[in-house]
Amino acid sequence: MKDDYLWDKSGQPDPEIQKLEEILGTLRYQPRPLELPVSRRRSYLPLLAIAASLLLALLAGGIWLRTRNQTAPQPREAKVISTPSPIEEKKPEPKIIEKPVAPQEVIAVNNKHRHKSVATALSKREREEALLAKQQLMMALRLTTEKLSLVHRKTPNTTPANQIKNQHRVG
Amino acid sequence: MYATANMLLMTPEAHAAEQPQEQAVEVVLVRSVLDGDRDCFARLYDLYAPLVHGILLARVPRAEVDDLVQDIFLHAYKKLHTLRDSAAFGPWIAMIARNRAVDFHRRSRETVEINDDLRGSEAHDSRATEILELIRSLPEAYRETLVLRLVEGMTGPEIAARTGLTAASVRVNLHRGMKLLREKLGFMEGL
Repeated sequence: MKDDYLWDKSGQPDPEIQKLEEILGTLRYQPRPLELPVSRRRSYLPLLAIAASLLLALLAGGIWLRTRNQTAPQPREAKVISTPSPIEEKKPEPKIIEKPVAPQEVIAVNNKHRHKSVATALSKREREEALLAKQQLMMALRLTTEKLSLVHRKTPNTTPANQIKNQHRVG
Repeated sequence: MYATANMLLMTPEAHAAEQPQEQAVEVVLVRSVLDGDRDCFARLYDLYAPLVHGILLARVPRAEVDDLVQDIFLHAYKKLHTLRDSAAFGPWIAMIARNRAVDFHRRSRETVEINDDLRGSEAHDSRATEILELIRSLPEAYRETLVLRLVEGMTGPEIAARTGLTAASVRVNLHRGMKLLREKLGFMEGL
């Protein structure tokens, strides 16, 4: 009977155990509220933001590459570029521009840097025209650069910072 | 005689009958917490705080018990996803409490002064603390079961269900522990 009481509090109570329960009951657990952390679930917002920005950057890059390929200089566009600029009109240097370049050499140089498919797509005359246009453009750029550097040398107030800025722009 | 026989006979069956219901509640509560229901963890806390309190009281100074109970439940809340069997929440948190008590003693060895202070704070307590000290001096297998029974007021089947121990083990621990405690108390002299 007494064992029953010790086991599951049934049967005849054991006065000794009851006394112990009474004394030790003062040490019993007193309910206290549990303070849980604010949020158990991890916030995925920063990760989502990073993923979204990466996706956006990739998308923008893809669009840019595509438009760049579409607007890449076509052989026929070279003709447009090759129109004489005002600088050339002022200082025509026919000897340099009109210096005959062997078409074979031009083709060879071209083939080094360009795909065969592009090179074969152009006719011989078109290639010559394109090369001439390129040379003219380069000459115009060189002239402009020289003029700009001359102006910079003559201008006393030019700071080194500006020089770097201008060089960057020209280059 | 009949009662003793009945008690022995009913142990496994009664225990088995009580356990599924409690375990079902545990399973539902644990799953709800894992689904983000914080209130369900509060219910688990209400259910198991006395168990954790009792386990700690059998091992660490009384002044440390309340804070450790909170720490253990916070730890359990964070690590609940690691619990494989939702029905084993009781044994799992009991193990956390035992491990935390071991950690406490490991650390308190390094800080002797704090330990002495804690002993001093307990010294002014009443007769309850004296008896608790006697229980703490018993073999480890008995002290936890006795504290859960005599301090926390849990029954043998409840202790078995919540700690994951078999009913037979709990029964043996209770009876042997009680016998040793009676000897130490000098058959309740002066109680």
